[in-house]
Amino acid sequence: MSKIEVKNLFVEYSDNNKSFLALKDISFRVEEGEFVSVIGSSGCGKSTLLSILLGLKLPASGSATIDGRSITGAGTDRGVVFQHYSLFPWMTVRSNVAFGVKQSRKGLSHRQRLEIADRFLEKVNLPDFAHKYPFQLSGGMQQSAAIARALAMDTDILLMDEPFGAIDAKNRTIMQELLLSLWEGDGKTAKKTVVFVTHDIDEAIFLSDKIVMLSNSPGHVFREITVPFVRPRNRFAIFGTDAYSKLRNELMSLFYLDVAEKIGGDEVVI
Amino acid sequence: MKHIIDRLFTVPNGLFVVLLLIQLLPGKATRIVDHPEYTVGLTLIFEVILLTASFSIKEKQSRQVFTDIIGFIYAFLILWVLVTAKFNLFGNAKGAIFPPPGAVFMRFVDDINTILDNVRYSLVLIFQGYMLGVVAAIPLGLFLGWHARVGAAAGYIAKFLSSISPIIYIPYAIVLLPTFRSASVFVIVVASFWPALASTMSGVLNVEKRIIDSGKALGLNRLTMLFRVILPASLPQIFIGCNQGLSVSFILLISAEMIGARSGMGYYVNTYADFGNYTSALAGVFVIGIVVTVITFLFNLLQRFLLKWKQ
Repeated sequence: MSKIEVKNLFVEYSDNNKSFLALKDISFRVEEGEFVSVIGSSGCGKSTLLSILLGLKLPASGSATIDGRSITGAGTDRGVVFQHYSLFPWMTVRSNVAFGVKQSRKGLSHRQRLEIADRFLEKVNLPDFAHKYPFQLSGGMQQSAAIARALAMDTDILLMDEPFGAIDAKNRTIMQELLLSLWEGDGKTAKKTVVFVTHDIDEAIFLSDKIVMLSNSPGHVFREITVPFVRPRNRFAIFGTDAYSKLRNELMSLFYLDVAEKIGGDEVVI
Repeated sequence: MKHIIDRLFTVPNGLFVVLLLIQLLPGKATRIVDHPEYTVGLTLIFEVILLTASFSIKEKQSRQVFTDIIGFIYAFLILWVLVTAKFNLFGNAKGAIFPPPGAVFMRFVDDINTILDNVRYSLVLIFQGYMLGVVAAIPLGLFLGWHARVGAAAGYIAKFLSSISPIIYIPYAIVLLPTFRSASVFVIVVASFWPALASTMSGVLNVEKRIIDSGKALGLNRLTMLFRVILPASLPQIFIGCNQGLSVSFILLISAEMIGARSGMGYYVNTYADFGNYTSALAGVFVIGIVVTVITFLFNLLQRFLLKWKQ
């Protein structure tokens, strides 16, 4: 049984009695301990797919299951990092992490929760910012803190919705490496199952075991691609290899082929 | 050295010197006798505050604002001294209504115990009414805002009712409630309740959806969601209504006290005005101004403390 299984999923949005299809017949699986990226251009429904996995939205038909059980609502078996507002602005960074821990790990004392928070803030290099409010941190630091919270909650599954989408290019690579090193860990503990939504092809290749490519709206699975590079990964060992270029070209052509199809095969100006 | 000179030779300090010097001008005999030593004493207190501020406030802009305020007070006092004690522009017929500043300040000092008793009475009353109003409004606003269906209708009703001046309720409150005091508390409850309710509701309705999603994704239960997420997220908006309620409450309390109370600041001012004693009435008016300013200042400190997480 797969950790996460999405089967013939249809999702509709309705607005003023009009409804439109956001996702059309989506099926894919994520195995335990697998890092899967979902990519597609904006508006293809990839964030909608994530809200289904989060339990914030329910499917019109089809199913989404975790460990074989249907997702019926939000739950503390899933940690999440959004692009914005993962952290509550009125709590310090430390309180934010401890608050997350309180929700997912019952029976801990206040002191134990703070200790866990401090330990994870150390892992993301933020111990000096524990008592700051989110607005006092840079965008990258905020996302680091959000990742610290998601990891501190110690959930089996990590769902990430374009977590580095609003961060500048240089810091984004730093964040990707941080995430990867935290996820790959020391090899002793079991890896978390990750679903990572992005529109950045390089990011998807660098991070994932498998890439699920969605087509434009209504989104459906265009292609599933396995990423062959061994772990632990090193950006410079991968970039520039033939395998990398081939994979990247394949994804790029799919990406633009899809765009071209949608606008009726006319010349594409980007 | 240069910055000491910069901070001494300022317009407010110039006005300070002018204010002291005009006291030396020969005055006219006014109906109410001036006591310039009280004006000078008050001016010296202001100057000590001014000088302390100009050498202790580091940030240039807030230093300027602070010293400018005292400059305006000096300018006002200069005008007041000239119009009354020095030139007696209102003549002796209207002189009782416009007493010179020294007379008012002397009355303030002489009557300080009575004034403070009345201030205390008014403050206890406003504290009770305001707290009752706000404490009832915020949880109700959270509930109504969160249940959008009931909230939508209630929002319009709240807007309609908050547009009615609570002064309307004064006669009803006096008839229906056993004491004048309870009637005053009731009117303040009404005055603070509606703006706090309306702003809490609109605060809840305008909470960023992504923040709510973030809370839902953590699997928060309803109570935690309401008090740890929705309440703090709406707090900036809630404070707008609470501020508004506070200033309306003060205006109403003073008006209500002028109608029929036996104590309080409004009563103090009104009683003396009724007997043509404008020296005492003006002393009371200044005290009201100072009290309201201090309370508003403290309220803003509280607001800044509770919203320190905001950019």
